[in-house]
Amino acid sequence: MHIIVLAKVVPDYEVPSADFELVGNRAHPRYTRMIGLYDENAIELGVQLKEKLGADLTVASYGLGDDVQFLRKALAMGADKVVLVEGTSDDPYVIAANLKEAIDRQGAVDLVLAGRQSSDMDRGVVPGVLAGMLDLPFVPQACGVESADGGWKIAQITETGKRLLKLSGTGVLSITSVPENVPRIPAVKAIFAAKKKPVEKLAEIGTGKMNVSELSVAIPKVESNCELIPAEDMDEAVRVLLRRLKEERYL
Amino acid sequence: MERIPYWNIGYGLLIDLLSLPALAVFGYGIYGHWKRIRQGKASVKLGLTLDALKLGPLHIRSFLTRGIVGTRIYRKLCTGIAHGLLFWGMVLLSAGTILVFANVLFRLPVFKGEFNHWFMGAALDAAGVAALAGVVYLLIRRLFPPERLTCFRANSGFIQVEIGIIAIVVTGFFIEGARIAQNGADPGSFVGNWLGSMLSVGRGGLELHRYLWWTHGLLALATIAYIPFSPLVHLVLAPANAGLDVPVPGPKMGVIDFESFEGDGDETPSLGASKLADFSRKNLLDASTCLKCGRCHEVCPAAQTGKKLSPKGVMVTLAEYLQHGRMDDESLLEAISTDAIYSCTTCAACMEACPVSVNQPNAILQMRQHLLMERSEMPEIMGQANRSLEARHHPFIGTGFGPNDWRKGIDVPFYEKGTTEYLLWIGCSVAYEERTQSIARAMVAILKHAGVSFGILEENRCTGDPAKQMGNEFLFTEIAGQNIEEFNDLGVTKVITMCPHCFNSFTRHYPLLGAKFDVVPHAVLLRGLIEAGKITLTNSGQAICYHDPCYLGRHNQVLSEPRSVVSSVGQLVEMPRHGCESFCCGAGGGNYWTEEEGTRINQTRAKEALDTGAKTIATACPFCMLMLTDGLKKFTEEQMVKDIAELVCSRMESGAQGVPQTLVST
Repeated sequence: MHIIVLAKVVPDYEVPSADFELVGNRAHPRYTRMIGLYDENAIELGVQLKEKLGADLTVASYGLGDDVQFLRKALAMGADKVVLVEGTSDDPYVIAANLKEAIDRQGAVDLVLAGRQSSDMDRGVVPGVLAGMLDLPFVPQACGVESADGGWKIAQITETGKRLLKLSGTGVLSITSVPENVPRIPAVKAIFAAKKKPVEKLAEIGTGKMNVSELSVAIPKVESNCELIPAEDMDEAVRVLLRRLKEERYL
Repeated sequence: MERIPYWNIGYGLLIDLLSLPALAVFGYGIYGHWKRIRQGKASVKLGLTLDALKLGPLHIRSFLTRGIVGTRIYRKLCTGIAHGLLFWGMVLLSAGTILVFANVLFRLPVFKGEFNHWFMGAALDAAGVAALAGVVYLLIRRLFPPERLTCFRANSGFIQVEIGIIAIVVTGFFIEGARIAQNGADPGSFVGNWLGSMLSVGRGGLELHRYLWWTHGLLALATIAYIPFSPLVHLVLAPANAGLDVPVPGPKMGVIDFESFEGDGDETPSLGASKLADFSRKNLLDASTCLKCGRCHEVCPAAQTGKKLSPKGVMVTLAEYLQHGRMDDESLLEAISTDAIYSCTTCAACMEACPVSVNQPNAILQMRQHLLMERSEMPEIMGQANRSLEARHHPFIGTGFGPNDWRKGIDVPFYEKGTTEYLLWIGCSVAYEERTQSIARAMVAILKHAGVSFGILEENRCTGDPAKQMGNEFLFTEIAGQNIEEFNDLGVTKVITMCPHCFNSFTRHYPLLGAKFDVVPHAVLLRGLIEAGKITLTNSGQAICYHDPCYLGRHNQVLSEPRSVVSSVGQLVEMPRHGCESFCCGAGGGNYWTEEEGTRINQTRAKEALDTGAKTIATACPFCMLMLTDGLKKFTEEQMVKDIAELVCSRMESGAQGVPQTLVST
């Protein structure tokens, strides 16, 4: 059995908003890089399935060659191998086509897992597009997966409830976070073992883009203007505070 | 008439002969302890250069002071005095007995003249009275024990040996009295003479004497033989444990060499400790020596605020496993519990209080290392802090600040190779929390005002110490390695720290990883600048209470410097627990990132500070600052906690330019 997990290395997704800045419509390169939030949930679920079913677990990624150091964490968590297609595109179609190429090279695949959305673009489009390219069913918002006679029993979670689905054969699932798939912290021995696991790098294939182009990116600026009100006399301070709040039309 | 040894006793020499099997049993018992302790591993190398006098592995000074004299036991004065009376009384009485042996065997003239009068008579009777008074006090205390003695498990066996000692001393006095009743008064023997005057002369008296003599002698020999199998074994183990303890405060964790993990990976050692066999011989000696007195339990911030941890409980469990030979039993961690293992703030108050030099946090931290590095088990928030430390090089999860926000609007020079003297180490604790950022800003203002050549790193990182304290030695080694590399590239030789945890890490652990630089905590630097007249301060005369950060005070003995700084801006007042006996703020050992059970440690400490009546609470650690500020919120809305750098900055004459207004109003 072979399970593929898609993972994307992204800039720190918890940069405080006051410290966040854009360069060329993308996060400044000074932020540290890491595997995306939901991708780690997908990896954790993949590792759990691997442990339960004795499956092979491959992590497929599209991104920068230097990002292998961050993808090693997935190996330390329990994946067997990383396949990285080196490329810089943000286009979902290009990413999906390249991931399809990488997956096709892995032989028979029984399940493809992905985070519900990347932590930088936050679109959640790639897994669906990829499913279409692979001609496989796509189940979004999955949180739990079990093997069930030749297919998979999938728990799908939405804001309002939970749905149990049966998938016959293989498919692509996008995974959301639940307490059961909080990513494990790799043990030290696993970190050292990960250094020796195989990493396959592939060159990008040229392919068409989606007919959607980005016109502009705006991040709302959080501003804080601090005004100190002298507090020696509490009554006076309250009066000043009320007057200022009214002047600024907060009240 | 000169006293005749073995008077009225037929075959008295039998006692001398019987002492041989007694000593043999004693030796066999001690060997049993040694055999158990020997199963441990060698201790971790600490790489410290101490100019302490050593005899083999034994540190002579602590062997004599903490081991033989038992200096720490006097911190509880009544118990200390009772113990001292008993111990030194018995030492004198044993010396007297040995002299009698020497008289019998080698005709040493001990029963003559002044020596007989003052030593064999007066001193030994006084020793007997002292020992009796001491042991009776200790027996009564055992019969009506304080909670510390009984929590988890009381040390069984003390009551028996105390009754035994009372019997030995009392029979000793009666033998003396019976002999004196027959033979007339001895010079100096005030107790014997008094008893002799009351005992009857004649056949009954002689028989009583003979009977008591044998009882006394055999009981004494039996007690000697019983020592290794009773709590009295601390007579041997406590001095040994004191002498073998490296005389440096703190848990003494050393570092782990991860090189063996780079190989093929099959033979990698298990990290940390999950069973007794993983511990060092010193750890096992600690467990054997522990007398279950519970002094550690009384001072432990976790134990005193309703957490699962008690340092005594840990030692009791280790000792039980050792006693039953469960060297490879991994149920040890469950017996102690993950919660307990992670509740330790590593404040080392337990070590400070321990009269027999046990290193409790060392054992606890080794178990933590195992949970984290082998099993990936840790409380959730600590896990998040760990993850953040790994990815972002700081553990402040959910911070609203970027790494450089603390210096927005002020000009801070970068460290320049070859020209800058001091590196002002920022680390994480003064960068990612609003309240502590002003410590860094105040320090910059002070250093500029005093004309100190200093600079910061362009990118500030954590020392990795929180990872180490949480048990993630591996992550610590990685971060420390990066820092050391950068320091070496920049040629850094002098470092100023504002956080005692950074200071401790730099001085205790970085040298073991190849670092070569001097570190000065800001308390010491500030005192130096004030003394050298580089900064002039106006003293407000207001009461300021100083909270000792564990890692500055207890761990590194920086006690007078911050006090001197506080005294130059105000009137220093002390909390009941201060100096080396200070009470932790609750943040140590990674417990800044935890959901506390029970009472909050920081509230307990904040209340203690508030109760001094001082309107300002000074400290010298950003973590203490955050914890006390938070703890104080329960009692007052006032913002009372200040770092010593903030205090200095606000009282600098004409020197507070460029410092945010919030800092200047103290």
